[in-house]
Amino acid sequence: MSIADNIYDLHKCRVLRVYDMTDEEKLFLLRFENSETAESWTFSPGQFVQVALPGIGEIPISICSSPMRRGFFEMCIKKVGKVTDIVHTLHPGDFMGIRGPYGNGFPMAEFEDSDILLIAAGIGMVPLRSVFLYATDNRWKFGNITVINSARYGKNLLFRKELEAMRDIAEAENINIIQTVTRDPEWKGRTGRAQEHIADANTDPKNSYVVVCGPPQAYRSIFDTLIQQGYDPRNIYVTLERRMKCGVGKCGHCIAGSSTHLKYICLDGPVFGYYDIISTPGLI
Amino acid sequence: MRYLKIKSDKIHPFLERLSTYGALYGPVKISEEFYDYRKIDDVKDVAFEYTRTVTPAKKYVIPTRQDMFEFDMDTNEYRETIGEVEPFVLFGLHACSIVGLRILDGVYLDEYPDKYYKVRRDAGIIIGLSCLPDEYCFCNLRRTDFVDIGFDLFLHELPDGYLVRVGSEQGHKIVDENQDLFEDVNNQDIQNFKKFERKRHEMFQYQGSFDNLRYMLELTEDHPLWDRESDKCLGCGNCTMTCPTCRCYDVQDIPDIDGVHGKRIRYWDSCQFRSHGLVAGGHNFRETKKDRFINRYVCKNAYFYPLGTAYCVGCGNCTHFCPANIDFLKNLMEIRGISEGVYEHSR
Repeated sequence: MSIADNIYDLHKCRVLRVYDMTDEEKLFLLRFENSETAESWTFSPGQFVQVALPGIGEIPISICSSPMRRGFFEMCIKKVGKVTDIVHTLHPGDFMGIRGPYGNGFPMAEFEDSDILLIAAGIGMVPLRSVFLYATDNRWKFGNITVINSARYGKNLLFRKELEAMRDIAEAENINIIQTVTRDPEWKGRTGRAQEHIADANTDPKNSYVVVCGPPQAYRSIFDTLIQQGYDPRNIYVTLERRMKCGVGKCGHCIAGSSTHLKYICLDGPVFGYYDIISTPGLI
Repeated sequence: MRYLKIKSDKIHPFLERLSTYGALYGPVKISEEFYDYRKIDDVKDVAFEYTRTVTPAKKYVIPTRQDMFEFDMDTNEYRETIGEVEPFVLFGLHACSIVGLRILDGVYLDEYPDKYYKVRRDAGIIIGLSCLPDEYCFCNLRRTDFVDIGFDLFLHELPDGYLVRVGSEQGHKIVDENQDLFEDVNNQDIQNFKKFERKRHEMFQYQGSFDNLRYMLELTEDHPLWDRESDKCLGCGNCTMTCPTCRCYDVQDIPDIDGVHGKRIRYWDSCQFRSHGLVAGGHNFRETKKDRFINRYVCKNAYFYPLGTAYCVGCGNCTHFCPANIDFLKNLMEIRGISEGVYEHSR
């Protein structure tokens, strides 16, 4: 990258579709206005972008689509603050400023030839959807795949309908989709926390990569269950969130860890391995 | 390295010449007790024997508040607002300040170079100046008390002038264009330089190194000092504002009254502020004052691997300017298990 470029410059993106996912989350399909950018811009699952609205501000949002479709990408955005409140008012045809992608993303090349177990709690399904769609788009590169999607109530299960609609293809492709809720008395399907369903995954603990995303307090017990069931700690990954203003290791807000392991979530992460997590206090 | 000497009577003419290379900034006595970097209109105002300034030199490369973009909310378009940066000369930076700028370079000019920083850094000529420590200084423990690079010229005090080290091509150019002000270094000057360095070395309160401190800090998470000291903390952020290497910034959009145009600005932020770790939805990754207090100790004592030094350069500003009299160095010594008087004292 040459210094002629301003790293904070934004690509103008057009909102093409807005789906209501839940009461709080909407899915946005975007494409780049500039054709050169549309053709060259790419990302890896697990990376994020900075979303900017002029006059409102910039926020980090993870990409939730597969990188296989060039020029387009999707973001699932929860209405939770100043910027996202306004993002939720956008309609097809409106614009957003986008810069990135940032962060390390998941080591998808390393995952090849292994089984993949994805464990999501709540909004954690968002970055994992990118991994899941990438894996299904490149089905022949990976072994068995299991997705465990969990939430408090059925109405909070992100991408519930999409995952349900994949049932046929999942069966044909050795993909196991497990959706579970913890508090919903109306729910007809599986209940309980995500880790309670790990035993039902079609993945071989001896040859699997595991990706976990959820609220910080969920990680410990998920790790414990995974390790107890024989999953290799070296193959466990998580993806984290922080306040970020730059996305490129300058603004200092996402710094976490200790004096021997000081990490920038935006540069060193947001994807971290299990051993990073346990040797870096304060990451989760 | 190229060495020269400039005699005492040539130093003011030298400063006059420096001001032809760009706007001259240097340390000035601003009150009974304090010094600060100011624009130099009269070279006689420059203070040569100062220890620390109220604001750090970083303000010349990272303005406290700067425009990033002008935007148009109707078209969703942004226009970069870097503008022209006039050349300037920073005179009188001490070694710790120069290392501080190099640490900022590592942060701002990495694989994602920050243009706003770069244009200011490139526009500046850095003239270093030797110093003697006060009771707050511990740059020796940080190994930042002597610099090899990061300056154009560095002036070391001699009884009758300064020994000048030339640290860059720009430095050579300045010396070559002003040869009438300089002379060769003689044997006596070298003896005097060594004497000054010895005297300086002996004036530091502590000797040794802080290289293992970061491990001790990590192993000392539940030390009682965290509660005791963070309880005194006012959360004012003075420590980070006066720190030569603290560089956290926040970004804000300021719309014009027409509701269409506006500016995206960035300005100094501090990890001591509650908003620093706050994310949308209300979760705060550094919820308590103690969390924020520890964060600064952790961050400052972490190693900046490109330079092989800690982010803290040992200038002592955070202690000197703390309104609650929190002593950074003393606390670090306590973490090392060293109480006053027990540690090997040089004096």
